[in-house]
Amino acid sequence: MMIEIKDLKKTYNGITVVDIPSLQINKGESIGLVGNNGAGKTTLFRIILDLIRKDSGEVLSKGFNVSDTDTWKDYTGSYLDEGFLIEYLTPEEYFYYIGSLYQVSRTDIDVKLETYTDFFNGEILGKKKYIRDLSKGNQCKVGVVACLMQNPEIIMLDEPFANIDPSTQFRLKNMLKQVAFEGQITSIVSSHDLNHVTDVCKRILLMEKGLIIKDIQTDVNTLEELESYFSVMK
Amino acid sequence: MILSFLQHQWKAFWRSKNTGKSIAVRVVMAFLLLYLFANVLVVAYFLDEILDELFPLERIVDAFNGVILYYFLFDLLMRFQLQELPTLSVRPYLTLRVTRNQIVNYLSISSLWTGFNLAPVMLTLPFLFKQVLPYHGVGIFWGYLLAIIGLTLFNHFFSLWFKRKVNLNSWFLLAFVGVVAGLGLLDFHWHVISISYVSKLLFNHLYQQPVLAIIPLFMAIVIFFINYKFLKNNLYLDELRSDHSGEKTSTDISFFNRFGIAGELAATELKLILRNKRPSSSLKICGIMMFYGLLFYTNPVYAASFGWKIFAAMFMTGIFIINYGQFMFSWQASHFDGIMAHKIKALDFFKSKLILFYTFSSITYILTIPYVYFGWKVLLVQSVMVLWNLGVNTTIVLYFATRNYRRIDLTKGASFNWEGVGASQWILSIPLFTLPFVVYAPFGLLGQPMAGILCIGFIGLAGMITRNFWLNLLVKEFSEKRYLIAEGFRNE
Repeated sequence: MMIEIKDLKKTYNGITVVDIPSLQINKGESIGLVGNNGAGKTTLFRIILDLIRKDSGEVLSKGFNVSDTDTWKDYTGSYLDEGFLIEYLTPEEYFYYIGSLYQVSRTDIDVKLETYTDFFNGEILGKKKYIRDLSKGNQCKVGVVACLMQNPEIIMLDEPFANIDPSTQFRLKNMLKQVAFEGQITSIVSSHDLNHVTDVCKRILLMEKGLIIKDIQTDVNTLEELESYFSVMK
Repeated sequence: MILSFLQHQWKAFWRSKNTGKSIAVRVVMAFLLLYLFANVLVVAYFLDEILDELFPLERIVDAFNGVILYYFLFDLLMRFQLQELPTLSVRPYLTLRVTRNQIVNYLSISSLWTGFNLAPVMLTLPFLFKQVLPYHGVGIFWGYLLAIIGLTLFNHFFSLWFKRKVNLNSWFLLAFVGVVAGLGLLDFHWHVISISYVSKLLFNHLYQQPVLAIIPLFMAIVIFFINYKFLKNNLYLDELRSDHSGEKTSTDISFFNRFGIAGELAATELKLILRNKRPSSSLKICGIMMFYGLLFYTNPVYAASFGWKIFAAMFMTGIFIINYGQFMFSWQASHFDGIMAHKIKALDFFKSKLILFYTFSSITYILTIPYVYFGWKVLLVQSVMVLWNLGVNTTIVLYFATRNYRRIDLTKGASFNWEGVGASQWILSIPLFTLPFVVYAPFGLLGQPMAGILCIGFIGLAGMITRNFWLNLLVKEFSEKRYLIAEGFRNE
């Protein structure tokens, strides 16, 4: 078991934003997190990453409570928003910085970056720009790749498809599918694009007002099921 | 329309999470403002007597005429340095059904609300009531008042326009300061020219012909429209952006490599300081502070006492710790989530701060060694104080950093920027400024100043040697507060 959540609760001003009695995520699973705005997806991500204090319950990563230990940081790669990027560095500097944190040498980083040439589409490397001067989509590319640079066992991405162009969406989808196919890396990806999510993820968690109201293994009917749920919502 | 802009600004100010959530800050700031206000009023009320004292041979009105031009020159200088351009986040409005004229109008009018514009009227109005109105009549009274308002507005819009136009960099400012200082020297020291003579000439005419007050008013109107037109023509998103610098390079600071991950973090933070507007201007202040010693060591009153030496030496060798450290962690607010979620141990995080502190304090210490010219005691005090700064002040500053939850926008300038200022900075200054004196005072009173100085140095050294103990304390404190810090930094 990779991640286990028990009796998790978080409220803001009396409104429950996350309420998950029990959730287990196994090694190698690819999870798609869907739900309308305010459903609690980002908050859940932040709690799993120990960025927010929870009111009760616990999150275990490989059996250890994420609030008490730091070891989960060794194998968890995450990109939620631009708050994970250092905006005054160039993308290269940022990748080297990440590399140094995770003991990946510069040459290894360079070799890895080669493999993302298509994904970057010539807009990231060697542009002599700081990350803050990149477009949101390109910032997202930097964040996602930095996340994969860490040789993670778990990756967590919050709406990675939102700002990137269609070609990059396809490339990212293939990357994530590849990850899922190899079965070594556990992934949790949230998205508003039901097509992408059902395409990439083998298990879908549907959140509404902090609750996980559906937990389904993806099959041919999943997209339809989700679409009917979202179109009925008022 | 302007009304609803004002309303938005008002809301933006009060609803910003940065605006003193804590009442303590508001109270302190209110007192500070009141104090300044009171000072101005007192000066204004006694202006006639002050002038009489300074220029006993002249008529008071003549003396007044003589200083007006000085004031406005000085005012212009201060404005160049300190006045912020009204930036209003115009972005959301540019695409709405709001005309350019309305936006520009708003930018111009809202910029008027600054102490620079209030001060001249506040300073002179009591004088005008006391001296001019009763003895010289209503006409002259209005003449002066309008002329002063006109000159104020002229300075205001001129400095705005000029600052935008030339995108003043610090070298230019330095040159300008040099020119004004040169004029001052020519005037006061060598008596080659006399600004005061020119000032008298101008305002004596005004005194005889109050109608002439329309000239400064007219000047103000002209410069208003120049500024207006300039703004209107440049109201584009990409041009309003503050950063026009070109290619960015990836620099590598290999000096820090030997310290492992802490060194990497320190190198990254050094880039933060060098590449962003506000931290780099606080670094410039550190440079200027190196001259602090000239103020203290040359003055015989200060030079005799150890107390002032301690003060000056602490500032010079520890200015980076004080000035940059007081906003610790806020500098990294925009990527604090990344710091928390990535594989960075809190201990390394704190060590990286120490590395920066040690580096900068060493540099400032070395740079201030030439002050030994003023005696070996100066160097001794500076050496002792650098130990104190590194051993004690670092820990104090970092401790308060764990209680600082305010976000800072790196791209905004430093002067009059209250963003990120909170109660913790005010409280921080208390131990920072008093502790060395608490240690020194008993020895000083007993007539053993040298022992007191050495005691400060000893405590500093002890703090440096035991730094791992303090670091662990800080890490513990930090892990308790980390959610609060991260949440505060997320609030824009």
